[in-house]
Amino acid sequence: MRQREELIILRKRVSLLVYVIVSALLVLAFGFWDHQMVYSSYYADRAEENRVREVPLIAARGRIFDRFNRIIADNRPSYNIVLVRENSPHTVEQTLGMLAPGLEITVAELQERVERRKRQPLFRPIILKEDVSVADMAFVRSHKYDLPEISVEEQPRRRYLGGEMAAHALGYVGEVNDTELATKEFEDFKAGDQVGKSGLERQYNKVLRGIDGFKRVIVNSFGREMGQLEAEEPIAGQDLHTTLDIDLQRAAEEAIGEHSGAVVALDPRTGEVLAFISKPAFDPNLFATRISGADWNNLNKDPRKPLQNRVIQSHFSPGSVFKVFMAAAGLEAETLNPLQSTYCPGHATFYGHTFACMKASGHGIIGLHNAIVNSCNVFFYNVGKELGIERISHYATMMGLGRKTGIDLPSENAGLIPSVEWKQKAMKAAWYAGETISVAIGQGYVSVTPMQTAWAMGGLASGGRLKQPHLVTPEELRKSGFRVGEVFSEQYPIHASTVDIVSKAMWGVVNEKGGTATRARVEGFDVAGKTGTAQVVGKAARLKGDQYEDNAWFVGYAPYRNPEIVVAAFIENGGHGGVVAAPVAHELLDTYYRKKTGTFGTESTPNVAQSGRTVPGPAGR
Amino acid sequence: MVNSLRTQRFWKDFDWLLLGAAVVLSVISLAEIYSSTISSGSENYFMRQFAWVMVGLVSLFIVSSIDYHILSEHIPWIYLGAVSLLVYTLIFGKTVAGSKSWISFGGFSFQPSELIKIVVVIALARFFSELHIERYMTLSQILKAGLVCGVPVLLVMRQGDLGTAITFIPALAFGLFVRGIRPAVLISLFLCFLLVLPVSWLFLKDYQKDRITTFVDPELDPQGRGYQIIQSKIAIGSGGFWGKGLFKGTQNQLGFLPTRHTDFIFSVVGEELGFLGVMTTLGLLSFILLRSVHNAQTARDNLGMFIVMGIVGIYFFHIVENVGMVIGFMPVTGIPLPFLSYGGSSVLAAFIALGLVISVRRCRYVN
Repeated sequence: MRQREELIILRKRVSLLVYVIVSALLVLAFGFWDHQMVYSSYYADRAEENRVREVPLIAARGRIFDRFNRIIADNRPSYNIVLVRENSPHTVEQTLGMLAPGLEITVAELQERVERRKRQPLFRPIILKEDVSVADMAFVRSHKYDLPEISVEEQPRRRYLGGEMAAHALGYVGEVNDTELATKEFEDFKAGDQVGKSGLERQYNKVLRGIDGFKRVIVNSFGREMGQLEAEEPIAGQDLHTTLDIDLQRAAEEAIGEHSGAVVALDPRTGEVLAFISKPAFDPNLFATRISGADWNNLNKDPRKPLQNRVIQSHFSPGSVFKVFMAAAGLEAETLNPLQSTYCPGHATFYGHTFACMKASGHGIIGLHNAIVNSCNVFFYNVGKELGIERISHYATMMGLGRKTGIDLPSENAGLIPSVEWKQKAMKAAWYAGETISVAIGQGYVSVTPMQTAWAMGGLASGGRLKQPHLVTPEELRKSGFRVGEVFSEQYPIHASTVDIVSKAMWGVVNEKGGTATRARVEGFDVAGKTGTAQVVGKAARLKGDQYEDNAWFVGYAPYRNPEIVVAAFIENGGHGGVVAAPVAHELLDTYYRKKTGTFGTESTPNVAQSGRTVPGPAGR
Repeated sequence: MVNSLRTQRFWKDFDWLLLGAAVVLSVISLAEIYSSTISSGSENYFMRQFAWVMVGLVSLFIVSSIDYHILSEHIPWIYLGAVSLLVYTLIFGKTVAGSKSWISFGGFSFQPSELIKIVVVIALARFFSELHIERYMTLSQILKAGLVCGVPVLLVMRQGDLGTAITFIPALAFGLFVRGIRPAVLISLFLCFLLVLPVSWLFLKDYQKDRITTFVDPELDPQGRGYQIIQSKIAIGSGGFWGKGLFKGTQNQLGFLPTRHTDFIFSVVGEELGFLGVMTTLGLLSFILLRSVHNAQTARDNLGMFIVMGIVGIYFFHIVENVGMVIGFMPVTGIPLPFLSYGGSSVLAAFIALGLVISVRRCRYVN
């Protein structure tokens, strides 16, 4: 009986436990309801994210051609080793530790690369090493089971077929950096993208860039590809047809040799840039793969400044080249009579200072024509004195000096044509009349880029018509689907007689006996031009060494009536313009003339010249 | 004649429904073990598990045919043997995944702690059933019961298998509750437990602490410690109502689920068989628990009732912990889900336990 009672009590307690059990099971059932019914689509999405990985297929950039459809830059296949942190069986430190010896990179360097991309989504690949060797790829392939988080990614890479050729015009490509990404120019890009960093590559990024594709692949938890779902092929960027002529480019590069300097050739009728040389140059191929620290230091610390674009960024005293513009200004302002003569004793005194002439013994009695041909300073001191700084400034600027030419390249420098107002603003000082005398022969504050001198010279020789210089014509851009207007063109007022007088004188510089640039002469092609020899520092310092040698100029064009080509050759610390710069221009003009007359060597294809531009270029993207 | 009558009686009183539930669960288990190991290939988990189920079924019939009173009679010796086996394991055992809780003989390894749980259950049941008291146990009785359970628990803990050690406790708790403890004692035990919690934190190993912090917030370290639980939740949630279909769970087949044929087998069920499959499986497990409770209430004597309630306590905890773990309701421990998780010791223990429950039921009419 007692036992029976006891049993009843105990069974009641068991019943209480039933409530505990049932309620716990109901909580669990609710949990599954919550996961599988209420939030099912959320988890389904996450399962899909797990299983599917998007692999970028990187588009090739458009190729770059010269005006005769010859490839200057194309792309080659290359492979990167990448890390995908998502679902990695190792910590990043472990992975890098295992990888570093095989890739012959220090762990620290790898870590730095990961660090920079740390905040990007885990599934996005981080490039650990670019453009890897066959040995590197073999290492990764042989470890694909121990290191499933490491894979090889294909990326087309820029290849500049000419090496350093036209490097400053082409520019280079590289990975877009954070500062750039913050600007409007690069707003369409994302971290890790290859973009044009300078030159044409940057200017025409929008044309050249392709549209990256992607493929969606099924991966397992180790990141190994198990199958493909869909793919969108990348679309290569559009080709860029430039106005450059490789033959002219090469001729000038050879002629300039080891000198530092710049050569630029334009067609003054259209503004097309035919050649664009800045020396010393760099090899843009170095940037196509992430440039190594050592290479970058070499380029940056090189005292000869190979990264400097001497055609449009550097500006120098034009020296005697400026005399041509002084002559035109004097004639236009009617402060200079074309029949006027001056006596040159080899020096002249203005405002208590004595200014020397090029020829210490003096030119004797000299007229305008010979003053240009023989480059007489004394004559032009007087021209400058009569004009005064304000008129010099006005006419020089009008003729295209001291302002940007508007060439289709980034970072053009304006140079400087001084004025009273400028000096007041920049130096908080009044203009001294004596300074005008230096300006008259292209010294003092006057500073121009080689591009400007070619542009202004072409404009003057073409009767005051300035065509915006460009490396890519608006027609080409329209073919690529861009809406662009015509190149800008301006016509400044100048008398035909003025043009005639200075042109004849410049023809004399090249072709007359005693002219300063007879070395620029091309038989059969009426070359005209003007030399310049600009002092870098005072004569005392000049004795010290090479780097204080004069800067040599020759700016010329041909034929001297209705010119087709204008060339500015500038040799830094080269010495005398007629001796150093004129021969460089000669080589370029001679090549141009031989191509024009069909006597140019066999390696080029002059016949392609007109029809070839619409024909698709040779393969080799 | 007598013999055949007893045999007839055995089959007639046999709890076919409990057996049926266990068999259906085993079928689901085998299907999902096959599904979750199909891609790894190296070891034939399916065949091994199938063999263990067969061994389990035979053991179930053997155990259910034995009168549990006979087991109870010999339990002191069995208990001593079990404790010796644990000591042996502690000294000569094999370390698997950080726990020295395996012994191997012949070709295969075995985790004795799984089976020793049942020994502890019977020992406790005998202790509780032999107490004749008014209403509540005395403190010394409680301590004695704690000792019976505590010795093997401490030994298992020494093996480094805290999870398994904890699974012994519910047998004691259920027994104490049913035998009767004063509400004041119940409350003070609970308070002691709360007090011990922060202190025990100091004695936990790093991975054990990680499991707790991960349980609180798995997204703290989604690639590391939180990974298992996040992937499990994704698998289950993405299964939806109908499931992705057997062999078609991407989380399972592509290897995103960790330990998917053992501790996380229920995630695979959730992903491939959906809410429907989960409810079926959970329903069958609940059925086994509740029918066992019913068997306890209709048991002929206290001994039978305490045996069944001890077993219910252990497996109730297994189910709540394992199933709760896969949806993040409970912290991660290596506790298998009875009848479903891969593992010979676990399957064998579950069938033997069920055999005991059936034996208790069978004996209720025997006089």
